Amino acid sequence: MLYTDERDPGNEMPEFGDHVDKTMFEQILEMDEDEKERDFSKPLIYNFFEQAADTFERMERELEQKNLSELSRLGHFLKGSSATLGFIKIRDSCEVIQEQGKLAGSESDLAACLDKIRDALAQARNDTDELRNLMIKYFEN
Amino acid sequence: MPPADGSPSTAQAGSSSSDFVRKLYKMLEDPSYNSVVRWSAEGDSFVVLENEKFTKTILPKHFKHSNFASFVRQLNKYDFHKVRHNEEAGEPPYGKDAWEFRHPQFRADRKDNLDNIRRKAPAPRKTVQPEEAFQATQQIMVLSESLSATQHEVQTLREQCSELEKTNKMLVSEVLSLKKMVRAQSQASSELITHLTNLEERRRSSRNSAHPAGPGFASAAMGFLADGPDEPAPEIRRAREILDAAAADLQADRGRERLSVAYNQTGPAPDAAGSSSVMFANAGAVGGIPMVHDAVNDPRQLVYSVPQTADMDPFQAEPMQNMPYSRALSNPALHAEAPSPLTPHLKPPPAGSLWRGKKPHILLVEDDKTCARVGHKLLTNLECTVDLANDGNECVNRIKAGMQFDLIFMDIIMPNLDGVSATSLIRYAIPSVPIVALTSNIRQEDIQSYINCGINDVLAKPFTKEGMLRILRRHLLHLVKDPQSADLVAAEAGHPVAGQGPGPPTSQPYAAPVAMSMPAMAPNPQIKFEQASLQSPAAASTWQSPSQIHQTVPAMDGGAAYMSAVAANGPASMVLATNPGQRTLSLSAAPTPQQQSQQQAQAQAQAQAQAQAQAQAQAQAQQQQPHQALPPPPPPAQPPQPLQSQPGQYAGYMTPQQVTGAHLAAMAQAGAAAAAAAAAAANASPLDDRPEKRQRLYAPVPGQAGGYVG
Repeated sequence: MLYTDERDPGNEMPEFGDHVDKTMFEQILEMDEDEKERDFSKPLIYNFFEQAADTFERMERELEQKNLSELSRLGHFLKGSSATLGFIKIRDSCEVIQEQGKLAGSESDLAACLDKIRDALAQARNDTDELRNLMIKYFEN
Repeated sequence: MPPADGSPSTAQAGSSSSDFVRKLYKMLEDPSYNSVVRWSAEGDSFVVLENEKFTKTILPKHFKHSNFASFVRQLNKYDFHKVRHNEEAGEPPYGKDAWEFRHPQFRADRKDNLDNIRRKAPAPRKTVQPEEAFQATQQIMVLSESLSATQHEVQTLREQCSELEKTNKMLVSEVLSLKKMVRAQSQASSELITHLTNLEERRRSSRNSAHPAGPGFASAAMGFLADGPDEPAPEIRRAREILDAAAADLQADRGRERLSVAYNQTGPAPDAAGSSSVMFANAGAVGGIPMVHDAVNDPRQLVYSVPQTADMDPFQAEPMQNMPYSRALSNPALHAEAPSPLTPHLKPPPAGSLWRGKKPHILLVEDDKTCARVGHKLLTNLECTVDLANDGNECVNRIKAGMQFDLIFMDIIMPNLDGVSATSLIRYAIPSVPIVALTSNIRQEDIQSYINCGINDVLAKPFTKEGMLRILRRHLLHLVKDPQSADLVAAEAGHPVAGQGPGPPTSQPYAAPVAMSMPAMAPNPQIKFEQASLQSPAAASTWQSPSQIHQTVPAMDGGAAYMSAVAANGPASMVLATNPGQRTLSLSAAPTPQQQSQQQAQAQAQAQAQAQAQAQAQAQAQQQQPHQALPPPPPPAQPPQPLQSQPGQYAGYMTPQQVTGAHLAAMAQAGAAAAAAAAAAANASPLDDRPEKRQRLYAPVPGQAGGYVG
């Protein structure tokens, strides 16, 4: 998309494209005692994807309910997790959801917010799917 | 026998020879003494025949004393010798007790020879003296040699010293010019960062508005733009952190410079002196001291007013480590690395343990499992003992249970009880434990509210190892092994970049508290940026801001009841679905029926207008959330209704002002209130679904695991 990581591409890092902030993600990888086993980062990241899938489901439900505040809360929540891991594309989408969820205004605004949230959610799911595949490839190799 | 009368020779002798010898001769001339003392038969010696008589009668007459021993000593001085007689040769000629003395020149017939009898010269002394003189001169020579050598040495040292002085001056001026350059560069960089931030801001918002929203929604997009996201991209934040770290290093250099300045009496004012302590003053008692002033102008007094650093000033305690040479290279290296944000962040942890003895015990209060695990791991890697609490209530309960911690990392937005409220609650029990907010909401108004409730510092999410380390060193200085480097780290906080950043500092009313509370996060540029982005201040408040929360929470009896219920059920555990099975189940557990029943209950309550229940519930509502009680609840079928469906989620958010005094007691009260409110709701509604609602709110029963409150 529009947001890309423009810092020099590291060569030792696997290619996650613009999905991942390398610094944050490397910090996570660094915490592994064993670089082959990766028994800290691997469950952490797999867990994140489960958490993300769960959160997306909840978001869908809240969208139906037009529950903006809950959407905002969920957006904030997933934003924190994704930012911690350096998953910046997901983070950005979550941020949109959080921010849009905050906007409680006129009825047309509500619809607009919900539309934006719907788009951001779709984007986030897409990005998450892509990234999950990349991560699985990375960790299972 | 020579004539007794005087002769010219006698007179002559009297003038030159010793009195003693002449007296002796005269005494021997007296014939009346013959039985006592007389010349020997040969006339070449004299004999004392009767020792006792001689001593008592004759000696006093001629020598004015009666001491035979001193008479003998006198004789010896004139080289008279006692004549010894070999005992084997038979009886001595003058008897056993006689004393016979002889001097080669002392003869009865040679009165003229008396002048040749002289006192013996003190011969041994005369032979010693030249020897001593020789030694003395030798010593003098040695001394003068060593003196000249010393003088030479002094001269060499003096030359070296002046050489060093020159070099030092050169170095200082070089450092000064470098510093100017660095400052200029960091200014340029922060300008660039600000520019980039704005660019990214625009890009993000354009990306957001790029969604097919239609022209009618442009206003909403603009509103979003004005509000802006909570934080800039972490890349930009990191860039700022690097700039800050570099500036802090520069500061340390300035401290070193002070050493040379001390004797040069020239150069810049060592204004870095109190920078570290300034930080501590801020961390300890967050006063209203504007950062811009104290770091640059008058930090010196603070050095002594702050106990933590009084004994740990690295520039006083370990001046050798601050010599310009040992660290001179670190700075250029750092600056060289600065363009790549990766390098400084990936540097290995300091060799050996960070801690002196006791390892810190840290409470990490965090509802997000991912953050909690990463934070836990980071802290464990830094040898800390870490306790995890999933929300504010867990944190409060641990403090209530008397658990001791050295530091608390506190997430702000958490279910059940948020970090600000939790801090307010536990501050009474633990007034001195550093509490560090762990949050992505780092706007000035957020930070102000954190500070108001007793939070000491802020570590921005997503946090890095370096950020964590900085916080630990800053607040656990007493446990850190090398306080010097800790002080350097602390000095980062107090660096005066705030005064050098773009834009006049006076135009940043919030700069001071923010800079004080979160120095690690490039306070000034950050603030600058945020202020620039806050084009509409009305829209700027975040949804986490407690008052904002209350505005979004609907004013309903049910809401109040829920809120009280949640508050009463304080220790309710957060449900963060890490179990996949549970999570898939949660998908089916849609809250809709509950919400409907809830709405029904509310509608029922409204319709029946049970004044009693209303009054009760509203009283509670006012007690807890003044914002909420007054407007009448909308009819259940209105579109905003979904907003009200889960008011309990926000029950934990209390404004800091509300969370004061005996809050633990207040929580207990809320319990009773909740029961009353719930009873009221039950009365009001024929469809009493209260237990279900309760379960949904704070108990993750299987099949209803959707009670995801995290």
